[in-house]
Amino acid sequence: MSLLAVSNLTKHYRRGGKTVIAVDDVSFHIEPGETLALAGPSGSGKSTIARLVLRLIEPDAGAIEFEDNDFLALGGAALRARRARLQTVFQDPLAAFNPRATVAHVLDDPLRIHGIASRSERPHRIAALLERVGLAADLAPRAIHEISGGQRQRVAIARAIATKPSLIVLDEAVSALDVSVRGQILDLLLDLQRQERIAYLFISHDLGVVRAVSHRVILLDAGRIAESGDARAVIDAPQSAIGKALVAAAPRLKRTTQDAS
Amino acid sequence: MSALASIRDLTVTYRRDGNAVAALRNISLDIVAGERLAIIGESGSGKSTLALAIAGLLPASSAVAGRIEWSGLGRTPLLGRDIGFVFQDPSASLDPVMTIGKQIAEVARTHLGLTWSQAYAKAKTLLERVRLPDPDSALHAFPHQLSGGQKQRVAIAAAIAAGPKLLIADEATSALDTIVQAEIVALIRRLVAEDGMTLLFISHDIALAAELAERIAVFRHGQLVELGATAQIVDAPTQAYTRTLLDAHIGLDAAPLLNRAGLPA
Ligand SMILES: Nc1ncnc2c1ncn2[C@@H]1O[C@H](COP(=O)(O)OP(=O)(O)O)[C@@H](O)[C@H]1O
Ligand SMILES: Nc1ncnc2c1ncn2[C@@H]1O[C@H](COP(=O)(O)OP(=O)(O)O)[C@@H](O)[C@H]1O
Ligand SMILES: [Mg+2]
Ligand SMILES: [Mg+2]
Repeated sequence: MSLLAVSNLTKHYRRGGKTVIAVDDVSFHIEPGETLALAGPSGSGKSTIARLVLRLIEPDAGAIEFEDNDFLALGGAALRARRARLQTVFQDPLAAFNPRATVAHVLDDPLRIHGIASRSERPHRIAALLERVGLAADLAPRAIHEISGGQRQRVAIARAIATKPSLIVLDEAVSALDVSVRGQILDLLLDLQRQERIAYLFISHDLGVVRAVSHRVILLDAGRIAESGDARAVIDAPQSAIGKALVAAAPRLKRTTQDAS
Repeated sequence: MSALASIRDLTVTYRRDGNAVAALRNISLDIVAGERLAIIGESGSGKSTLALAIAGLLPASSAVAGRIEWSGLGRTPLLGRDIGFVFQDPSASLDPVMTIGKQIAEVARTHLGLTWSQAYAKAKTLLERVRLPDPDSALHAFPHQLSGGQKQRVAIAAAIAAGPKLLIADEATSALDTIVQAEIVALIRRLVAEDGMTLLFISHDIALAAELAERIAVFRHGQLVELGATAQIVDAPTQAYTRTLLDAHIGLDAAPLLNRAGLPA
């Protein structure tokens, strides 16, 4: 059984009297420890799929099976328990917090809400989580507005892994980071995947990054799957019109002398 | 190679919460008339501060030392007339309650001394030049009726309306998706060539900058790390930091970071 199986997912929006088909009959699956990327132009439905999978919004049609449960049928305590297994990190994930909130507070929430650790255990858990994402434990009392963008993204990842998820939805999670920091965050994500067998639904408009970190890719165009398959095979030789356009538009750095590194 | 502008020992300090933040330190560089010069660097490196200093847009909370000489212009530049400025967020430069035609016409009227009807005719020509679909109806449209890429086309039309010598684009394509970004970069390249403008292209994306610019200046922590021809910066950087930026780029030909072992088939 797949970790996540999405079938015939459809989502419409009504806007100014017109109907926008944000997601149109989309089906895919993700295996444990796998990275599936969603790529496509802006407005192609990537974030809507992410929100549907996270059950932040409800589809008009389709089914979502997660860890062998009919995810759309879950409610109440069962849904809450299953949600611990399905986490998310997006572009500026700590923006929703009061900037004066501390790192410890941000990490305490999931541990408390999901009953993962008692009050007395939590400081130790928080220290361990910080260490797991490559941060010093003494960052805990700092306010999130005092730490750097890269550190904030590590805290967001720590928050996501606090509940031991099997799947993390990453919606443009590395897009706003400086390139030097981005490489470190990608390394951290891949390391977590290897250690904990976490699967990722990796959403990015950057095909270079998608190709480097994903097993498979789905290219979306106007809410529909235009093309899918092995990430390198698809991006190296796209067949769909949108795939060709995306590859043609990606900026290229033409270096003639290049380090082996 | 005559300089449009010569920047000498430019230091810009912002005051915030009683602290002084040195955003630019002792920057000296020439902007060559007619060139496409890229300014690259990571966030906070001072790129926007340099753009604002050149455009005369620094906030009152800043202290400036050093000078900018406009030998290629022969006068103190006026924003709008001599310098066109395109920001990352087109909404920042477009008035949400004014029609697109009027916004562009106003620039032409103010700086070129045209009548309203001449200015509107000019606005229509500009909307055609930036390849906005259906320029006639776009004249009467409001910014919110356009997509992000279309708004950026309008912002570019307004920026070049008075025929400036220098066009500054500060992360002008960073909020757009890859396909729209490539279209806007192609548009900027064409307009700069057609009008003989000098381009200051500011970007955090070294690959994008290298595709468009003839010279690249690398900034870090408010300092100019390295300045050279694009081929030299990309192929033979003299500074370790430039090499770090180049190596951090993940292109379509990058080695996969992913270790595929261990994944179930
Ligand atoms: N809450 C909403 N109300 C109306 N339209 C929406 C809403 N969310 C998304 N859309 C529309 O659905 C389409 C897909 O959007 P989105 O999933 O955000 O795309 P992407 O993440 O690929 O940029 C777009 O046309 C968008 O305008
Ligand atoms: N208005 C301002 N007030 C105080 N500090 C500022 C202001 N604008 C920028 N800075 C600071 O100046 C430095 C350079 O910023 P900026 O020029 O915006 O860099 P970049 O465009 O390369 O990201 C940063 O440390 C930034 O926080
Ligand atoms: Mg999105
Ligand atoms: Mg900037």
